[in-house]
Amino acid sequence: MLFLFMVQFVPLCFAGSSDEAGEAIERAEQDLGSAFAAVAEAEGARADVSVLLDTLDIAGGFLSEAHVAFSARNYESAFSLAVACSSAVDGVAEDAARLKVAAEIAQSASFFSTLTVSLIGVGVAIVCACFVWWFLKRRYFRRVLDMKPEVEVA
Amino acid sequence: MNFETVKLFYVFSCIALCLVILSPTLLTIVPFPEGEKFSEIWLLGPTHMMEGYPFDVSPGASHHVFLGVGNQMGDLECYSLQVKLRNESEPMPDKLAGTPSGLPTVYDYRLFLRNNATWEKEFSFSFQDVTFEGNVCRISKILIEDNVVNVDKIALQNEGDKGFYYQVFFELWIYNATISAFQFHNRYVGFWVNMVRQL
Repeated sequence: MLFLFMVQFVPLCFAGSSDEAGEAIERAEQDLGSAFAAVAEAEGARADVSVLLDTLDIAGGFLSEAHVAFSARNYESAFSLAVACSSAVDGVAEDAARLKVAAEIAQSASFFSTLTVSLIGVGVAIVCACFVWWFLKRRYFRRVLDMKPEVEVA
Repeated sequence: MNFETVKLFYVFSCIALCLVILSPTLLTIVPFPEGEKFSEIWLLGPTHMMEGYPFDVSPGASHHVFLGVGNQMGDLECYSLQVKLRNESEPMPDKLAGTPSGLPTVYDYRLFLRNNATWEKEFSFSFQDVTFEGNVCRISKILIEDNVVNVDKIALQNEGDKGFYYQVFFELWIYNATISAFQFHNRYVGFWVNMVRQL
């Protein structure tokens, strides 16, 4: 709704020059680029960035349309669409950074719980192995010691 | 089998068992070799097959093809799929040098694709304000989906078969976060059309 409002409203207060529209598009490109970089980092940390990707898609659509409007010399529309793109990605980088930190904490906790379970498992396995070895060894030696020497008749 | 051999076998079995128990942790620490990283781009005809691409087109008539992009780069990627229009004498992208065509972009799709994700879209287009003067054809506008784009592109009549040939092609660019800019990804697809006065 906010984006639609901006698309409708901004042209009313915009004089409409190619320079301003061009600058707005360039700014939108930078905003979208930095938002994407932040989301990519969060995704690399295995954060769930589905919602942020949807926002990037919307912003990318605005930017594509801004380029078309600019090439059609419709500078007012190009400007408003570029501003809508910048507005759409506003706060995305912060959200991505927050998701990244949360994902890293969750991943670290998951790693340590896996490590703990694995180490406990290894400890139990070693204790069991030692016990089994002790038991088998004892049974083997007892069987050997219980053997009676036999005298063979020549 | 003597006692020492059994002892050795038992110790190795225990070590193997420990490694199996530790494997979930080792999987998160030991980096595994990654496969080949690449991106895909494809173009299919109106029937979603590699055939029936629009060729003889007339002014105002609507046509469509299917465009697709796949990400196998191992990470989330941002692509720019740039639609360009050229005549027979204008430059194509140079695959060997890895440089794009210097022609202006007619339309630009921004895609954000996760690893192993694909994107496909029906690309519908029609040529508007087409004029024929002698052996020159001029396309003033192209309608892509609902967007009218000024192109002002001329084509000279082909001396061989008297056609007016244009190529609609799609260049794939990828965002490089290090330099904060798109770079040509050395992939493109396209199809030729022959502009005719009346079908």
